Amino acid sequence: MTNALATALPRVDDQDLIDRIIGEQDGRPGALLSILEKLQDANRHKYLPMETLEYVALRTGIPQSRVYAVASFYALFNLEPQGTHTVAICRGTACHTRGSRDLLERVKLQLGLSASEGADKTSLTTPDRRFTIRTVACFGQCALAPVAELDHAIRGHVSEQALIREVEQLRKDAGR
Amino acid sequence: MTEKVKVRIDGEVISATAGQTILEVARANNKYIPALCYMEGLTSVGACRLCMVEVSGVAKLVPACTTPVQEGQAVATTSPQLDSYRKIALELLFAERNHVCAVCVSSGHCELQTLAQEHGVTHVRYPYSCPRLPVDTTHPRYVLDHNRCVLCGRCVRTCAEIEGAHVWDVAGRGITSHLVSELQRPWGEATSCTSCGKCVQACPTGAMAEKGWGVEEMTKHRTVVSRLTSMREGS
Repeated sequence: MTNALATALPRVDDQDLIDRIIGEQDGRPGALLSILEKLQDANRHKYLPMETLEYVALRTGIPQSRVYAVASFYALFNLEPQGTHTVAICRGTACHTRGSRDLLERVKLQLGLSASEGADKTSLTTPDRRFTIRTVACFGQCALAPVAELDHAIRGHVSEQALIREVEQLRKDAGR
Repeated sequence: MTEKVKVRIDGEVISATAGQTILEVARANNKYIPALCYMEGLTSVGACRLCMVEVSGVAKLVPACTTPVQEGQAVATTSPQLDSYRKIALELLFAERNHVCAVCVSSGHCELQTLAQEHGVTHVRYPYSCPRLPVDTTHPRYVLDHNRCVLCGRCVRTCAEIEGAHVWDVAGRGITSHLVSELQRPWGEATSCTSCGKCVQACPTGAMAEKGWGVEEMTKHRTVVSRLTSMREGS
């Protein structure tokens, strides 16, 4: 539960970006969510580094603990660098009964992530940062169970073979 | 705002000021409603669900700490249903983390323990989740033991509202929710912490304690926060 101590401030051009995004919000109530969302979008690895959170707290006057609480509460926000490709497996009830756990374990195996690793986490990234696997509570597509999402495209009635094939395709594309 | 309303609590007609909560009125009139996350002088959040009461004409149970009194309201503070729900809430708090009273600094002075004794919680019907949680001993004077934390948020509100430092907040969600100081920094490295120790005094359990005390030795001055608020309002 401990992170490396964020000591350094973000790079100067990142500071400018953060200042601009905070300025756009202009003290609007609930601005923190929009600020964090825009900053994550602008990040190359789609995550919020600790230095960014610290700088946001400094510039908005919102306590650091509050910034961290908000960033860690929403599944939308990532506190760790994300992979180039995202594979999301639905772990909702309908998908679970149609075998989504096996799908998840199979993809983890394929990407060289151990099954026990991150059992209590909702997202895992390969060390080479090419893939992030995450679990989702429900896509609202239960009739298509089991459902997986590859780079924001929803696939229904996913079988292990189909999923492996698609992930392999992404891997090849990424390699080119 | 000084409009008077008449409410009935456990059959007794009580005169109260509009805007007061059921819990405030009840406590002011020596009616006991159990509560864990409520603390006089802090804003109420209705998180612990122990102060649930029955209000006639309302199908649901309502939290007494966040429900304002209304003219003609009839409140029941005890009933077999309420007792059973409060017991469930307490048992779930015990099951969620590692509350081992026998080795706790606050044993004998713990609000959770006292409530459990009052409600006859002799055992927990739910499987213990036994999470592996750290103990933060980095602060020179105080210690934070996540194993004993019930996430009532009293320390969070005390630090934010009374001290104005807002060192603490609750991060994460669901079963992985946990207390954080600043950006998940060790407490001893939190630069906004003034080491005032009010969070320690506000903590109902042994989650926050002063260093140097053994089992059963940590007594807390719980009126500190309430007294500070009333003194400030008075000035």
